[in-house]
Amino acid sequence: MKRIFLVMMSLLMVFSCALAAEKPIKIGAVNPLGDITGDQATKAMKLAVKEINDAGGVLGRPIELIVIDDEMNPAKGAAAIERLATVENVDFFVGGMGSGVHLAQVPILKKYQKITVWIGAASHQAEIAMGPDADWYFHLHPWDYQQGEGYGVGWTEIVHAYPNVKIEKVFLAYEEGAFGTDSYTSYIDLYEAAKRGEGSWKEILKEFKGASFKSASLGGGDYRAMLNQAKAFNPDLFIWAGYDADAIPIVAQAKEVNFQPPLFVGAPPGWPADFGKNPLSENVILYGMWAPTLNEVSPVAKHFYDAYVEMWKEEPATYFAPLGYTNIYFLVEGIKKAGSLDKNAIIEALRTIEYESPLGEVLKIEPSRIIKNQGFKYQKILQWQKGRQEVIWPLELATTQLVYPFKFGK
Amino acid sequence: MKKTIFPIITILAIVLLIFLPYFIGAYLLHVLMTIFIYMTLALSWDMMLRTGQLSFGVAGFFGVGAYASIITCSRFGFNPLVSILFAGFFVALIALGLGFAVLKLRDIYFSITTLAITMVFSVIIRNIPKLTGGASGKVIPNVIFNGDSAKTYWLILSLALITILISEMFNRTKIHFAINSIRNDEIIARSSGINIFGYLLFVFIISSALQGIAGAIYTQQYGFVSPETTFSLDFLLLPMAMALVGGIYSTWGSVIGALVLGFASEYLKLIMPYGHLIIYGIMIVLIILFLPKGIYGTTKDKIITHKIEKKSLSE
Amino acid sequence: MEKTNKSLKKTLIAFIIFLIVVGIWKPLALVYGIQRGGLYSLIGLPLALILGIVGILNLAHGDFLTLGLYIGYIFFNSWSIDPLISMAPLFFILFGLGMVIYSILIRRVLKAGHLNQLLLTFGISMIIIELIKIIWTTRPRSVYTSYASSSVTLGNMSIGMYEFIYPAMAIAVLVILQLFLKKTRLGQAASAVGQNPKGAEIVGINTNVVYLVVFSIAFGIIGVAASVMLPRTPVFPLSGNPYTLKSFALVAMAGLGNLNGILIGGITLGVAEAIVQSIPGYEGWSDVVFFGILIAVILLNAYRRPES
Repeated sequence: MKRIFLVMMSLLMVFSCALAAEKPIKIGAVNPLGDITGDQATKAMKLAVKEINDAGGVLGRPIELIVIDDEMNPAKGAAAIERLATVENVDFFVGGMGSGVHLAQVPILKKYQKITVWIGAASHQAEIAMGPDADWYFHLHPWDYQQGEGYGVGWTEIVHAYPNVKIEKVFLAYEEGAFGTDSYTSYIDLYEAAKRGEGSWKEILKEFKGASFKSASLGGGDYRAMLNQAKAFNPDLFIWAGYDADAIPIVAQAKEVNFQPPLFVGAPPGWPADFGKNPLSENVILYGMWAPTLNEVSPVAKHFYDAYVEMWKEEPATYFAPLGYTNIYFLVEGIKKAGSLDKNAIIEALRTIEYESPLGEVLKIEPSRIIKNQGFKYQKILQWQKGRQEVIWPLELATTQLVYPFKFGK
Repeated sequence: MKKTIFPIITILAIVLLIFLPYFIGAYLLHVLMTIFIYMTLALSWDMMLRTGQLSFGVAGFFGVGAYASIITCSRFGFNPLVSILFAGFFVALIALGLGFAVLKLRDIYFSITTLAITMVFSVIIRNIPKLTGGASGKVIPNVIFNGDSAKTYWLILSLALITILISEMFNRTKIHFAINSIRNDEIIARSSGINIFGYLLFVFIISSALQGIAGAIYTQQYGFVSPETTFSLDFLLLPMAMALVGGIYSTWGSVIGALVLGFASEYLKLIMPYGHLIIYGIMIVLIILFLPKGIYGTTKDKIITHKIEKKSLSE
Repeated sequence: MEKTNKSLKKTLIAFIIFLIVVGIWKPLALVYGIQRGGLYSLIGLPLALILGIVGILNLAHGDFLTLGLYIGYIFFNSWSIDPLISMAPLFFILFGLGMVIYSILIRRVLKAGHLNQLLLTFGISMIIIELIKIIWTTRPRSVYTSYASSSVTLGNMSIGMYEFIYPAMAIAVLVILQLFLKKTRLGQAASAVGQNPKGAEIVGINTNVVYLVVFSIAFGIIGVAASVMLPRTPVFPLSGNPYTLKSFALVAMAGLGNLNGILIGGITLGVAEAIVQSIPGYEGWSDVVFFGILIAVILLNAYRRPES
């Protein structure tokens, strides 16, 4: 009798284990589906989930991705987290984009303290709001201040690698909203540090000036007053921090006022659809995390690109696509390494894994100013050449040589 | 009989709303909180509209209230609840000052001026970073009640109930007649000795203060302000849409409008991840074409005509 | 009549003195201001026409401009038609769109009051924006023409010539509109309807036809504005949206039914903005000047003519 009971019990256990094994691991994503960044990040996440499930899932269980649109509205983004946590009962949060939405999500994320891997929200305000104690929070996108620091590293290396390139005077044009102003503040900090002989810009930044403009995406679009100021300053390196809608009119109006800096750099989060086709784009430099040309130097990037095009019949157009793909894979690698769904084990695993990402570099977690788990630190320096975005820096990922100096009408 | 049923239903509804956090989950509670904030804005906008003045200043007072609360909280160490009350007084004071200048204007001149004032507020706040955090905004380390959903819900619920109460008071006391007569014919109102400016100023101050308090609570709930999100024109356009969809010139119109549009936008998006805002827009267009007085207004009219028909039949 | 003429003259003289002073003080600001102000006026005119005669508050004004930009983009992208040439088809396409929108939607809310019109056009605006997002995504598109960034060098200044097309078109549209309203029978009827719709109906004017024509003409002008802007403007779902507010501001500043005032007001605001933008360190305040002047003018007008 006892034996039968034992056999039955063990059978039951095996059976329930099998059942549990089939129950999917739920990941909840919050993205702005109406915007190309959120749309493509979501598609890339779905691609990653499909690949992982086709390969047998993780811990023997499939993954289920539940996506909710945040409509780029803070209250909606916060409610989406509540829904994922309480109605969908997800195990993890992923997602990204706007800092405004993310700031509203921070208090809700803190309430549930589930492992969260985030690919958007570059504003340092989000880091302040999250605070130092959230060990379950992983932030993959570089913070605004890290980006400025990274370009200092990049330009210093470029100046050493290309003896003809000279940088002393830098001019930053920034859109007057949060995105541009935050870049400006971080450049001011870097400039102060450089004057003291510290920081990544110390070798190359002798003079710095900034001016704001109203972005075309917020009803502006006349940059000529700002460009005239820049022209009078005569910088070696001109950077504008605005949105994709500003990209073409800024170059066109620079040509109009006859402003031709040797290095003409744009730092928007995305680029317009026809920028490469526009004759004015030739040799414009851009800051970004990824470009399709990485396919030539990184097999992971190539695999991602081809798989994305095959699944969605469109090309990934923003770096949020490979970031979304990275978002899922990084989390799943962590779960795999932890070997269970134990929160502390996964946090420990995520902190130690090295994931080779489709963005070209290896993703490793390090502390940033406030939080403990920061992913990527720097963006890349790219250049438009013959309608393609070529990688210039990091030098080891470079797909071609820098064309210098910048000139209109070639 | 009808006179006794109505208060009982109201009390039951209020009791139900108060105990709601024990029955429903955090998600629904969150959606309700957002709806109540918008309901307050819609209703306070409608209060001003009843005097004939179409205000486009909702987002402006909302934003100033939000900033007043965050700044007093983080700079001067106010208790969050005190900072919310302070925001209400502060906005009321601004409305008092502005009222003397703008309440003489009528029609679209009043509307555009209030909208321009909203823009001026946001640009000034963006350009004084030392106090306001500038374009980048400001974050407070702890949100109100440390993020406790139920307590935050009760706070927002009380604001919504107070707004409903004030709106009903406006509708049931003699202010109602004054306000209506201003809207219907200002010259007659003036000749019958109504202090038009006084009433306008009074309603302007009260409704603006409510909008300021709504902004303060909203921002305490999420713990941050930034010119782009805090002065978003959504805080003007959505409340207007809610009041109009529900039915203007009444308390229950705005309440119904806020509930209908608030839940619709949340559920549409779950059924239809892409393009749900198109359906939302089509819904608004259809309601305005086929229920020109809003859901509540049209239904009420139907009931009244039905009753009159019945009466005339029985006679 | 004589009194209004006198005050118009006074305003004109003050306006010209203002422009001359700015021209001496900051010549580039004058150029940029006239160019931008011309654009504001060109876009503001159709809104003023609709509000002044049909009496509709069109919150989707800027979004129809966006739609025009996308149509112009298609002409350029699919058939390589220069935006300035596609101006003609664009006028008629938007004219037709205006007829359809008027007949299907606007006609039903003519008597429902400003608020219902406001909400209806808000709904339309939302539908347009979201449809565009689904069809073309949020990625900006643009049209390249070499002439759009051409310039003339004067001393050490390099002055862009293309944007002078904005004030030029604004003046042309204004003159044609005034001729239409004063010289043609339909135009005279439209003016009468604008001033007193009930009276006009009693006299036997078919207000519905007048409204239909005026509404469609205004839409045609939006099409023209879109095609002139296209060489210099990125095309994305919210391209035109901010111009709704700017156009309302202009109409309120000029006063209902005052089309000439749109041009003067637009250029004044454009120049004022450009002056602030040209002062280093104060670029961010240009909106305050824009809206500050707007509020000041509205208040001045209201207090100068009490009880009107």
